Amino acid sequence: MRQIFVSLTLAAFSCAYAQQPSTAHARVELLSQQSSITPENNLLLGIHFVLEPGWHIYWTNPGDSGQPPSLKWQLPAGFSAEEIQWPHPERMQKNAELADYGYHDEVLLPVTIHVPASARNGSSAPLVADAKWLVCREVCIPEHERLQITLPVAARSKENPATARLFLNAKKNLPKSLPQNWRASATSSKDDFVLKIIAGKRITKAEFFPLEPNQIDNPAPQKLAASATGATITLKKSDQLLKPITSLRGLLLLPDGTSYKIEAPVRKPIQ
Amino acid sequence: MNKVNRFLLHAVVLLALIASAFAVKVGDPAPGFTSVDSNGKQQSLSNYKGKFVVLEWHNQGCPYTKKHYESGNMQRLQKEWTAKGVVWLTVISSAPGTQGFVTPTQENDYLKTMNASPTAVLMDPGGSLGHLYGAKTTPHMFIIDPNGTLIYNGAIDDHSSSDQSDIPNSKNYVSAALTQAMAGKPVTEAATRPYGCSVKYKD
Repeated sequence: MRQIFVSLTLAAFSCAYAQQPSTAHARVELLSQQSSITPENNLLLGIHFVLEPGWHIYWTNPGDSGQPPSLKWQLPAGFSAEEIQWPHPERMQKNAELADYGYHDEVLLPVTIHVPASARNGSSAPLVADAKWLVCREVCIPEHERLQITLPVAARSKENPATARLFLNAKKNLPKSLPQNWRASATSSKDDFVLKIIAGKRITKAEFFPLEPNQIDNPAPQKLAASATGATITLKKSDQLLKPITSLRGLLLLPDGTSYKIEAPVRKPIQ
Repeated sequence: MNKVNRFLLHAVVLLALIASAFAVKVGDPAPGFTSVDSNGKQQSLSNYKGKFVVLEWHNQGCPYTKKHYESGNMQRLQKEWTAKGVVWLTVISSAPGTQGFVTPTQENDYLKTMNASPTAVLMDPGGSLGHLYGAKTTPHMFIIDPNGTLIYNGAIDDHSSSDQSDIPNSKNYVSAALTQAMAGKPVTEAATRPYGCSVKYKD
């Protein structure tokens, strides 16, 4: 019975993925949240990476080495693609010198596509992305594929049940706006930024991921001090940072997997 | 915690502190070093006082290094700047058993095959020179001025990719910095994010 179940699953799996290209270390495919396209409605696509065990790809800020995946779209007239939405990464650090930000195992990178009013019901739209990514373990390999999905244009769109779980998961891992009553600010001293989060509750554990490459020293330990209303996190400045910055941008990842967008104005400490 | 464990923990913490304390900042004196090159010769930074010195972190298996060698870009830079009196030191910090680790003979063969002409190639399999400068990627470029001050720390150019076809459209930060510094001007882009593979240090 178990065997039959496995082969049925495999059969369903290979059907759904039959046309997708694969490479040595990453299987990459273009998926759609909806099973059809509706004129004037946004469509959510996703680049789905399934990585060989031990291999990783990179976040939009890769950290000290590496490179994020990039896409070049070829879309029918009137269609346009937004930027990749990046789920929160994990920190990958082997020594005191280097820390990178990226993803292991599996990740879906959502991209919103704008569908024009001129998309005709009954036609079909081929959506093509030339994708490039760097996949690394001990060594790094640049890979690329032309990804394609063709969807019918229909008056009403339906959610595609085959991809629902993946898109739901991706949404959970996307950073959210800071809750209304939370505040983020930062002070700058000679060697550090101190990021202060006011959340109305104690934060005992959190990690900051910088969006800009040269603001903080990636491998340096982040020192968190919890307070009754939130926390402060001391972040060592990057050696590459030669000019003062006005805003510290990044994500705050909490232990439950929720992440928030941080854009903290930076000021000098009051002496 | 037994004594040995406690000792190891202290050793690790101390090493981590040393590693982070030694990273260098543009404007600071470049830390001195003596290292053995691929011809078995001792190379000391102090010997090159009065000259511009370029440090180029290298790993011949890394796709980003390959971009600049298989296109001939790095060799062109080495020729151009050493002809103008610049000392060009390529550094290999890959640990034995990792990508880019080579014996001196293998490295000299590689230089011949690639028609590369750095002043010397420093063999740093223990990673101490890499840690001293906080080298993160291959390539990662540093420039030291004739007074021994670090004047550039960062990427080779402004196209963080492994595609050779990007080179003609790239701004080369090393050439820009050397041109400005030799003309007695301040370097406008003195610290950039280096891009490439991670340096394959000993764990």
